[in-house]
Amino acid sequence: MGLEYVRISPGFEKYMPRDYVDLVKFGQFGREVDVMQLGQFKELVEEHPMCAGCYMAYFIRIFYAALPKPEDTIVLGTAGCARLALSQAAVPFIYGNYGDTNAVASGLKRALSIRFPDKDKDVVVIAGDGGLMDIGFGMTMHSWFRKEKFTTIMVDNEVYGNTGGQESGMSPKGVQLKMAPLGKKFEKINAVQLAIDSGCVYVAKISPTNPKRIAKVIRRAIFAARKFGPTFIHAYTSCNIEYSIPTREVLADARKREKEDFKFFEWMTDEVKEFLEEIERKEKEKKKQEVKS
Amino acid sequence: MYFVAHVHENECAKYNCKQCVLFCPEPNCLNYKESGHTAWVWTDRCKGCEICVYVCSDLLKRNCIEMVMVKAGD
Ligand SMILES: Cc1ncc(C[n+]2csc(CCOP(=O)(O)OP(=O)(O)O)c2C)c(N)n1
Ligand code: SF4
Ligand code: SF4
Ligand code: SF4
Ligand SMILES: [Mg+2]
Repeated sequence: MGLEYVRISPGFEKYMPRDYVDLVKFGQFGREVDVMQLGQFKELVEEHPMCAGCYMAYFIRIFYAALPKPEDTIVLGTAGCARLALSQAAVPFIYGNYGDTNAVASGLKRALSIRFPDKDKDVVVIAGDGGLMDIGFGMTMHSWFRKEKFTTIMVDNEVYGNTGGQESGMSPKGVQLKMAPLGKKFEKINAVQLAIDSGCVYVAKISPTNPKRIAKVIRRAIFAARKFGPTFIHAYTSCNIEYSIPTREVLADARKREKEDFKFFEWMTDEVKEFLEEIERKEKEKKKQEVKS
Repeated sequence: MYFVAHVHENECAKYNCKQCVLFCPEPNCLNYKESGHTAWVWTDRCKGCEICVYVCSDLLKRNCIEMVMVKAGD
């Protein structure tokens, strides 16, 4: 971790793959990019095997562009679709056993705090609704009860996408899926309320319709976790395969859900609010200075 | 043979836009040329989902992106 780890040793440039050289020369390491610059720099995440039009893949794309310090970040994932892209990014990735992510992240974050007491090392879990709210439920909750200082992002496609369409606790009531042919009998879990009640200091719910807002939420969650405690983002990331959404309609569907049950929601403690306002004020000032000079 | 997106650059350059680039799910697939003020597709990376067409045609009514057939090696 750190910039030294990314740098290509002198003389070795010509032997490195083109994509790696591009990453070092035109990528995000050591400099902050704005998501609005997408398409004009080399992204951290590479080609991956997620389905055409998958908006979980889209969310992950924005996630990497939003990282405040990719060279000092570790991402944790688990079984499920997201890891197919998370494992193809130039940011260290740890694959926890299914359901283990938040236990592994707790240990990792504590170890990093001991090893690098004066540095911010960001730990981020990205896992599915099944991984976090069903099978990993206990570990997710206990990381929050214990106030572990890392970010959890649930990419909620409301199904077990990777294993062919079983219902999850996050599937909406009544929905029929390939392996839930009678329709789901129970309500969708209120993950956001659980997070607030269990000790998270910053919580957001978002549908991926606005890249600037996604990036803002991700950065806020990461900054708040550095200092105060667990943070949680609940993102709607549709599975066009299991929900039979024509790919051309995927963004339209995200916009529709934003008007219904995925209205943008953000909650934080007062001290987090104050802290974030200060960071964002400084960022704005810095940008103003850059424009001037 | 498979479908990929193709940007009509002369049309796109008329607008100071970049919206499709911001909504493509694939990394470095829809890119933007500051010099020509236009979006362009890195064909090898395109999965043919048409989300960019939804953005450009359905939302913005600019109709600058067309889906075209390519063969392996094109
Ligand atoms: C302990 C364990 N149980 C079951 C599985 C099989 N498995 C792999 S992915 C998956 C479901 C994934 O659903 P979710 O977490 O919602 O992720 P998605 O694929 O929908 O993104 C399951 C049950 C496993 N890998 N490990
Ligand atoms: S199965 Fe669904 S969630 Fe998984 S990659 Fe495909 S579209 Fe995305
Ligand atoms: S949405 Fe259309 S007009 Fe806008 S940048 Fe893309 S191709 Fe060009
Ligand atoms: S068709 Fe899909 S993958 Fe291809 S450029 Fe358009 S949005 Fe990107
Ligand atoms: Mg899922």
